[in-house]
Amino acid sequence: MTAFQQYALLLAMAAATIGFVFCLYVIGKYLAAPRKEEGEDTPAASGNLPEEAAWARYHPRYYGYALLFLAFDMEMAYMYPWAVVYKELGLVALLDMGVFLSILFLGLLYGWSQGALRRQ
Amino acid sequence: MTAAISILALLAGAYLVAVLEGWVSMGRMSITGPLASGAAMLGRESFVPKRRDRVFFEVAPPLLLVSALLAAAVLPLSPGLIVADLATGALFVNAALAYVMVALLMAGWAPNGAYAMVGGFRFLGQLVAYSMLIVMPITAVAMRAESLVTTEVVESQAALPNAIYQPIGFVLFLLAGMAVCFLPPFDLPTAPGELAGGVEAEYTGWRLAVFRLARLVLVVTVAAAVSVFYLGGWLGPVFPPWAWSAAKTLAVAALMLLAGRHVPRLRETHVLEWGWKVGIPLALLNIFVVGVMILVVG
Repeated sequence: MTAFQQYALLLAMAAATIGFVFCLYVIGKYLAAPRKEEGEDTPAASGNLPEEAAWARYHPRYYGYALLFLAFDMEMAYMYPWAVVYKELGLVALLDMGVFLSILFLGLLYGWSQGALRRQ
Repeated sequence: MTAAISILALLAGAYLVAVLEGWVSMGRMSITGPLASGAAMLGRESFVPKRRDRVFFEVAPPLLLVSALLAAAVLPLSPGLIVADLATGALFVNAALAYVMVALLMAGWAPNGAYAMVGGFRFLGQLVAYSMLIVMPITAVAMRAESLVTTEVVESQAALPNAIYQPIGFVLFLLAGMAVCFLPPFDLPTAPGELAGGVEAEYTGWRLAVFRLARLVLVVTVAAAVSVFYLGGWLGPVFPPWAWSAAKTLAVAALMLLAGRHVPRLRETHVLEWGWKVGIPLALLNIFVVGVMILVVG
C-alpha cells in the first residue's frame, strides 16, 4: 500500500466509527422511550440546582508545568528524526543531542529552582 | 480484510478486558456481564444537560473511540496482520493518543456541570504529567530499531525484548499508559466516589455506552502498544505469532487493571510532581543509557 492509501484507510476507519456511533444512537432512540420530566436536564451538583454557569470557575493551578511542557513537547518533535538516524551517525549524534538535552534539562532545573514545579 | 480481522480482534480484546475489569472490581466473573450492561445502557434515556456546548458534548465520546482505534490501527498483531503499516507508526501512536486528552477535556467542559469540568481539567494536568513519559521512552525504542515502523520495532527485539534492554523506559511507559487509560490510581478524571463520575457524570444512555466502549478499546490499545514496543510483539517460540501478540496484550492489560487496584488515588499535584521531578529525569537518563549501549554493544 502507498502512504496515501494507508491514510485513506485510516480516514475510512474514523468515518466508519462515526457511522457505528450513529447506529448506537438509532438503537438507543428506539429502545428507550423517555418521558419528559422537569429538571432532568440539570447537571449533577449533589442534589442542588446550580445557580450559575460552571464554565470559567476553575483555576488550573498547574500552569507552571504547562509552560515547561510546551518547551519539552516541541523538543520531542526533533527527537524522532534524530532517533531514527542515531545508529548511522553514532557518537556525533549522541554528542549533538547530549548538548541539546542538557541545555533543556538545565532549563528544567532552573524552572524547578524558581518554583515552576509546584501547585501555583 | 486484514483491517476487518484486526478490528474484530481489538473488539474481542475489549470485551475480554470488560469481563476482567468486572471481575477485579466486583469480585466475581461474569462472561455475559458486559453484554447485559451494554444493552441496559442502550435501553436508558440519554439525558442532555440544559446549557451545554452542543458540538463538544456530541463529539467527545466518538472522538475518544476514534483516537483509540486509530492508535490501534498501526500496531501489528502478526507480521501481515496490521491495518496500516505507516512509515511513521510510532509517532502516529503518540499523535492519536494525544486526542484522548482532547476528548476528555471536551467531555468535561461541554455539559456545564461543576464535577465534569473539574474532571476534565484534572485530566489536562494529568496529560502534562504523563505525556513526556509516553514520548521519551518511545524515542529510545526507535533509536534501537532505527525506524518508526512498528513492525520493524518488533523485529529489532528478536535477540532481546526492550523490556530487558531498557527497563527504565518500560516501567515509565507502563505507568504512563495506565495514566492515559485513566486506570486507578490515575483515575483522576472519573474519580469514582469523589466527583460523581467526573467527565462521565453527565453522560447517560447510548452516549455513556460509547464512552465506556472507547475506554475499554483504549486499554487494549495501550496494552498492545506496550507489547509491541517492549515485549517483542508477535515474537515467541512454538505458538503462532498472533497468539503471542494476543497473550502478551491481554497479560499487559490484566497487569494494568490489577496494578493500581489497592493503591489510593493520586492527587493531580502529586502526579505532576512525580512526573516532572522523577519521571522526566529518568526518561532522559533512559535515552542517554540506551544511546551509550547502542554505541558500545551495538
